[in-house]
Amino acid sequence: MEMVASLFNSDNYTAVKKMMDVSALRHASIASNLANVSTPGYKRVDLSRSFEDELRASIQSRNADEIAVASPRTEVDTLTPSTRADGNNVQIDSELLGLTKNTMNFNVLTDFASGSLKQLRHAIMGRPA
Amino acid sequence: MMNVISASSITGSALDAEKMRVDIVSQNIANANTTKGIDGKPYQRRIVAFESLLDAAAGPNMQGVRVSEIKRDENPGEIINNPQHPHADKDGNLTMPNVNIPFEMVDMVTATRSYEANLAVVRNARQMATQALSIGR
Repeated sequence: MEMVASLFNSDNYTAVKKMMDVSALRHASIASNLANVSTPGYKRVDLSRSFEDELRASIQSRNADEIAVASPRTEVDTLTPSTRADGNNVQIDSELLGLTKNTMNFNVLTDFASGSLKQLRHAIMGRPA
Repeated sequence: MMNVISASSITGSALDAEKMRVDIVSQNIANANTTKGIDGKPYQRRIVAFESLLDAAAGPNMQGVRVSEIKRDENPGEIINNPQHPHADKDGNLTMPNVNIPFEMVDMVTATRSYEANLAVVRNARQMATQALSIGR
């Protein structure tokens, strides 16, 4: 049992799982921003900067336990200036760009997870699945 | 992963709201020449007001959107002289609706673009969910 658990809790898996959570949360933030593109006074939501710093540091540490405890969270972005009279600071094109980028990132992560599992299956079967 | 699916309620609310905006624009354009509405007065342009609402299901800070109010534009319409018109007063003056077609067109294009942006969110969410479901295949 110990061996099986270690297969699925390796450092890489922990990082991929965390990054997928981050990706999903970023997607929800972009969904909220694009939903409110016409709402007067709305301020865009983004991943919290303190979390991004925390995540970067934990990945650089290459310590799975540290990556596992980083909890993704969002914050209201009041720093981006508003170019509109109603105070809304959502830019539709940059949000759409972020949306596409985030989906591509997510695809990379799922491909990585699939690839690792395929290798594992390959090792078990002794031939490509 | 739950975030991707619960975020669709936010996007759904935006699609509803933007569609409402297009509906109101079409009502305004349709009535651009209505000099006598059901209240007997010239048609008054309707304005849609949006407000955001917190969506706890999608997570903290996440906000959906809804139409908070549909207001009448109280600005007076243009008065033209057209004595032949059945709705003209005894001096031959006729008050037109205060609908400004170019303005409505701009609003319609903006609403359509916002609608498309939200559809892109749905498309991406579906792709992400499908990818996640096919991990290991």
